[in-house]
Amino acid sequence: MALTEDRRRIAVRLMVLQVSVIVAFAALAISFWFLQIVQHARYQEMAENNHQRTLALRAPRGVLFDRHGKVLVENRHSFNVSIVREHTTDLDRTIRLLAHVAGLEVEDVRQIVERHRGEPTYRPIVIIKDASLAQVAAITARRLDFELPDVVVEQVPTRQYPTDALAAHLFGYIGEANEQQLSDGITRGALIGQSGVERVYNNLLMGRDGARVVVVNSVGREIRTLEEIPPKEGRRVQLTIDYDLQKAAEDGFRHAGFNGAALIMDPRTGEVLSYVSLPAYDPNDFAAGIDAATWASLNTDRLKPLQNRVIQGRYSAGSTFKLVVATAALEEGIVTPDFRVNCGGGATFFGRYYQCWLKGGHGSVDMRHAIEKSCNVYFYTLGNMLGVDRIHKWAEKLGLAGKTGIDLPNEQESLVPSTEWKMRRYGQKWYAGETISVAIGQGQVSVTPASLAVMMATIANGGTRVTPHIIRAVDEGGGWKMAAPPAAADRVAFKPETLAALHDGLWMVVNGAGTGGRARIPGRDVAGKTGTAQVISIQGRQLARGSGLDLRDHGWFVFFAPRDNPEIAGVIFGEHNEHGYLGAPIAKHVMETYYAKKEGRPLPVLESKAVPAPEADPDTAPVVIGAPVARRTNRNAQNPTPNVGGEGRLGFGTWELGF
Amino acid sequence: MFERRLYHHVDWGLLIAVLTLCAIGLAQIYSATGGWTTTVETQIYGILLGMVALLVCLSVDYRSLADKSHLIYLAIIALLVYVLFFGAVRGGSRRWIDLGPFNLQPSEFVKAALALALAKFFGESRRGALTRVDLFVTAALTAVPLVMIAQQPDLGTAVTLIPVVFAIVYVAGMPVRLLGVLALIALLAAPVLWRFALEDYQRERIVTFLDPAQDARGAGYQQIQARITVGSGGLWGKGFTEGTQGQLRFLPVAHNDFIFSVLAEEQGFAGVIVTLGLYLFVILRSLESARLAKDRLGAYLVLGVLASFTFQVIYNITMSAGLAPVKGLTLPLMSYGGSSMIATLAGFGLILNVRMRRFTN
Repeated sequence: MALTEDRRRIAVRLMVLQVSVIVAFAALAISFWFLQIVQHARYQEMAENNHQRTLALRAPRGVLFDRHGKVLVENRHSFNVSIVREHTTDLDRTIRLLAHVAGLEVEDVRQIVERHRGEPTYRPIVIIKDASLAQVAAITARRLDFELPDVVVEQVPTRQYPTDALAAHLFGYIGEANEQQLSDGITRGALIGQSGVERVYNNLLMGRDGARVVVVNSVGREIRTLEEIPPKEGRRVQLTIDYDLQKAAEDGFRHAGFNGAALIMDPRTGEVLSYVSLPAYDPNDFAAGIDAATWASLNTDRLKPLQNRVIQGRYSAGSTFKLVVATAALEEGIVTPDFRVNCGGGATFFGRYYQCWLKGGHGSVDMRHAIEKSCNVYFYTLGNMLGVDRIHKWAEKLGLAGKTGIDLPNEQESLVPSTEWKMRRYGQKWYAGETISVAIGQGQVSVTPASLAVMMATIANGGTRVTPHIIRAVDEGGGWKMAAPPAAADRVAFKPETLAALHDGLWMVVNGAGTGGRARIPGRDVAGKTGTAQVISIQGRQLARGSGLDLRDHGWFVFFAPRDNPEIAGVIFGEHNEHGYLGAPIAKHVMETYYAKKEGRPLPVLESKAVPAPEADPDTAPVVIGAPVARRTNRNAQNPTPNVGGEGRLGFGTWELGF
Repeated sequence: MFERRLYHHVDWGLLIAVLTLCAIGLAQIYSATGGWTTTVETQIYGILLGMVALLVCLSVDYRSLADKSHLIYLAIIALLVYVLFFGAVRGGSRRWIDLGPFNLQPSEFVKAALALALAKFFGESRRGALTRVDLFVTAALTAVPLVMIAQQPDLGTAVTLIPVVFAIVYVAGMPVRLLGVLALIALLAAPVLWRFALEDYQRERIVTFLDPAQDARGAGYQQIQARITVGSGGLWGKGFTEGTQGQLRFLPVAHNDFIFSVLAEEQGFAGVIVTLGLYLFVILRSLESARLAKDRLGAYLVLGVLASFTFQVIYNITMSAGLAPVKGLTLPLMSYGGSSMIATLAGFGLILNVRMRRFTN
């Protein structure tokens, strides 16, 4: 009896266990259904985030070529070392080990990481840009030992600029996009053009970054590549620059031993052949992101290597401005080229005596000889006859006022005064006496080297104010496509006698008794004009003595060749070189190179030689503006050189005449 | 000893289901360890040795074995004592006896030995209901190996002894009232145990289980990864050896504690259902053997063996889905582990034994 009782109890309790097990398994099945079917998408995504890592593949920027197809700016491979925190368990250990292996300061690395702490953990934090091969080798070895699994070494294309900082200001430089520059296609940390061609044509040059999706394991080691979207290289761009002429100009400056600027172009089209601003920075320093110390030293350098002197430096035009006055007088029909003035070493206008640079005077000179000799009195006279507004009008037609419109950023406006301008700027009436100084390029005349180059091109081509430009052709993917050249800013057909007189006068400067003899090339009919940009007035010079500022004058040399149907024109600006004629050999070297190349002869080489002793320079001889015949009561009104009026302005850094 | 007619009474269905689970486990170990590794080979040896153990346990009449149960029990206790003093240490635990090519883990065999001893004890009891003496003896028989295993320390394996006792005692006629009292005591003792009996890491695991996100890099990591592994499998899975979580080691000890997660990832919900079905079949079929057993001894023996098996299966699978605190409990028949495999298959030898001999005298 008890036994059957026993059996029954066992059977019941076994049944209870059986049901319990079935319930438990049902619960398990439901749990798995919930996880694997209902929440599948969510976990699927988490699994992918777990093991997939998207690495950016930097697109190389477009290669820049010169007008003959020579590579100017290309890309090299460099290595970036980054930390990916995604799978890092001990960030501090990684930082310390990486700093130790790469030879960095732990604190520096920690600061970099700290700066990016808020970003998603899968985004690499770049610790070392453009790492040395030794660093890469040391880090890779540790990675293979699983010691630094969260450190990645990426190969990135890096801009490679020519050596010797060639045409640095033309190319510009690249840098990390700032907040305002972020947009579609430009993400945080992207390197974009910040200056020069790199900036203006950034959209063409930038390309599109690709991506590589890799599978990583639980410690962050890459296992294999899942997907690769190749980066799209930036467009290839051909510049109007001629590498040999560029090099010739920079060699010329180096040989001459001063800094400055040069813009040399084809006067028929405005194509820029050579673009120099010295001293220059090395754009390679910026290629992988510039370090703070180099940036600071570039910014505080008294020689201002970051300044793009060609379009940002404004200087007194000096005697080169006489060409504007000559053109204006001839085109306005006020005088003919045969108009003569007797120079006795000076002349009196509005009760003041204005000197010519030649104490004894030039005697009776016509237009051609006035240009050749750079006779101040002749141009005082023309200026007085013209009035400032007509001078301004023709300065504008020649491209000397306003911007040239060159395709480079941050161009400064050149200034040639007018009555309207003075009223607007100072709320004051223009005094006729001020015009006299303007007639020889002093007073408020303040121009960029680029605008003087345009003036020279306009005189060379007979009145078409071309727009200087740098881009020649773009490869949009289907071969070279010529870029549409910018329209001429103004077009005036000069009278034949105007052109003849100007061209003759300028030819005589180089080939006659003028100051440009150092640019003479037999058989090439080089035409040119020297000029001096006073850095400070004679009165100001005395006040500034001992301030440590370089107060020596700047020298100009503007030129074109040949005299008839010119093919090349430009400006050489010598900073503090005191004599405009010292720029002439640079122009000569460039032109000789131009002709040698054109005719297939070996290119000329500059030989080192002793710098010749300075010779008498009419442009530098002090243009003393004598005390007014009447007592100097109203200095500001009567004195045509504004800097004399305000001693207080001496305190401001460098002091260029006019501004 | 092994009569010809007995052959016809072998439960072939159960045997095939058990071996199928072994094969599935082997395949997933192959996948999780990345191909033909020594781990896979060791597992194969484990299965082969386990089948030998199964045959041995099948051949000898379970009643003869039960007669020797006290000797077997004492031998196992002796091995545990040996381990306690001379065992091989791995990962901070002293659990193994180093046999050269093989490491024996005696605690795995305690379950079967305890089941045998308890089955013998209750099976031969003539009394209708359980006495206090019975419960005391039971508690003593269980506590000795349990404490020794817990000392190794191997709390996971120690805990698996408890289902053995409860299953046998329950079916042997323990009053439900008493079960209720025990449950109450356990509930009241929980805070005390929490405070004094658990190690820091154990407390941490439980806290982490309740809120895994709190420590996503540390202890919660495995649990979150387990859920991701299972959830990302979907209906049909990522395919054999195509799982990313296991293959790329986001899930630790994928071939061992988390073998079922790997299966869920690579074979999907479909594979999970098939495998769960096989386990359920094995358990229900074994319960059937208990019901059909010729005597109480056989029924208790089956139950004892089955209890720890079932407990481990359910707990491990729950943990594999990230739904239970991570505990070093393997999945019987599938997880990597030679001793566990041999002990489990030996246990099934006993279960088959009971069913096979249900008509013999």
